[in-house]
Amino acid sequence: MNSPLKNIVESLIFVSQEPLTLERIQAVVEGVPAADIQAAVDELVADTAADGRGIQVVHVGGGWLFSTKPAFDREIRRLLQIERKNRLSSAGLETLAAIAYRQPVTQAEISGIRGVDSTSSLKTLLEKSLIKIVGRKKAPGSPLVYRTSDEFLLYLGLNSLDELPSEEEIAKILQEEKAADA
Amino acid sequence: MTAADAISLEQATDDTPALPAETPEGYQVRLDVFEGPLDLLLFLIRKKKIDIHDIPIAAITRDYLDYLDHKTEINLDREAEFLFVAALLIYIKSQMLLPRETDMAEHEDPRQVLVNRLIEYEKIKAACSLLREREDGQILQWKRNFIPPLHGESELEPVELSLFDLAESFFLMMKRRSADETRTIRGRDVSVEVKMKELVGLLRERRMIDFLEYFEANASLEEALVSFFCILELVKSRVAVAVQDELFQTIRVWLRKDAHRTDHHE
Repeated sequence: MNSPLKNIVESLIFVSQEPLTLERIQAVVEGVPAADIQAAVDELVADTAADGRGIQVVHVGGGWLFSTKPAFDREIRRLLQIERKNRLSSAGLETLAAIAYRQPVTQAEISGIRGVDSTSSLKTLLEKSLIKIVGRKKAPGSPLVYRTSDEFLLYLGLNSLDELPSEEEIAKILQEEKAADA
Repeated sequence: MTAADAISLEQATDDTPALPAETPEGYQVRLDVFEGPLDLLLFLIRKKKIDIHDIPIAAITRDYLDYLDHKTEINLDREAEFLFVAALLIYIKSQMLLPRETDMAEHEDPRQVLVNRLIEYEKIKAACSLLREREDGQILQWKRNFIPPLHGESELEPVELSLFDLAESFFLMMKRRSADETRTIRGRDVSVEVKMKELVGLLRERRMIDFLEYFEANASLEEALVSFFCILELVKSRVAVAVQDELFQTIRVWLRKDAHRTDHHE
């Protein structure tokens, strides 16, 4: 069924370059209950997820966004003449993980967790806007305090920090690794 | 910090530390496969199937130092971090050897601080493998806010240049030009508006222009000057972006994909 609301929502998401939240859709289509909008978006997500489309609506960063489907990555890269998309280095990812799980956190605390000086990793993560400085800690030297950014959520396809791998998932990984070693 | 530590643009290969290859003379150790001393310690603990809560400090210290002895390259920055943990291990051992009046209670175990750190680090490492999976999945899904990176990208992050760098490069080039400029200058009017349109058109068409090459092609000094002002203006108004891959390399000018956007993420 093609409801006009679904079409409106689709067009709004299409022009949006950052995740479009329910609140913002609601502010545009006045007087529509949130539940209806949610239903329209859900339908849109289900529609576009189905086969027969090259793009899909994804729920990420607390809102909705159009993205291409993973299957067409090769062709897209060919169009944009990009050989490969760069991943974070292991040092970068490790630093990012330490911040994600321990935020708000200072450089010294991150380096402490990793056992390695993390200054340059922090710099690169800042440049990539995956982390941000949120202030200074009331401690000797007033060190800068870091947090992950909205881009971080987007980068990993998360909606909030609650969606980070949980303690249980991490414990499971460790179990598996140990089982593999044994 | 070294280049190896920095978040360089890593190839999408598996990044599990390669095991040291056994050779008749011993083994070749590359410390840089380990993210740091904690990573090395965890590796040794796992290899020996040791219970992390009951680490035989003497044995693990010996293994650890062995590794440091067999390293193939020296890097003072990293070495310090590895040696720091070696010192910590020896300190813990000394604490354990010291006679005590009362029996050691559980919470007084001198190993506890290290064990806590190792456990925390182990968790972060495990989280990393999960986050890497997410990253790999997300990387295949292109979103509209994506701005294509520059072509011919090297391991180095290109530097976005200031107007001063551009100016410097321009004067350098003009100097070179003036050396072989013997012709009389033709009187031809070049207006900024026309040149600006021409430049944007060129950028749209070619996506990128080589800064120096572009000026070499300019007929007269006057024309080159006008073009230069246009480029400065385009960069200033954030319509174009000037990029240099490495110091002293040529400067390339790109049209900004997000030129019309007002919400620049700084």
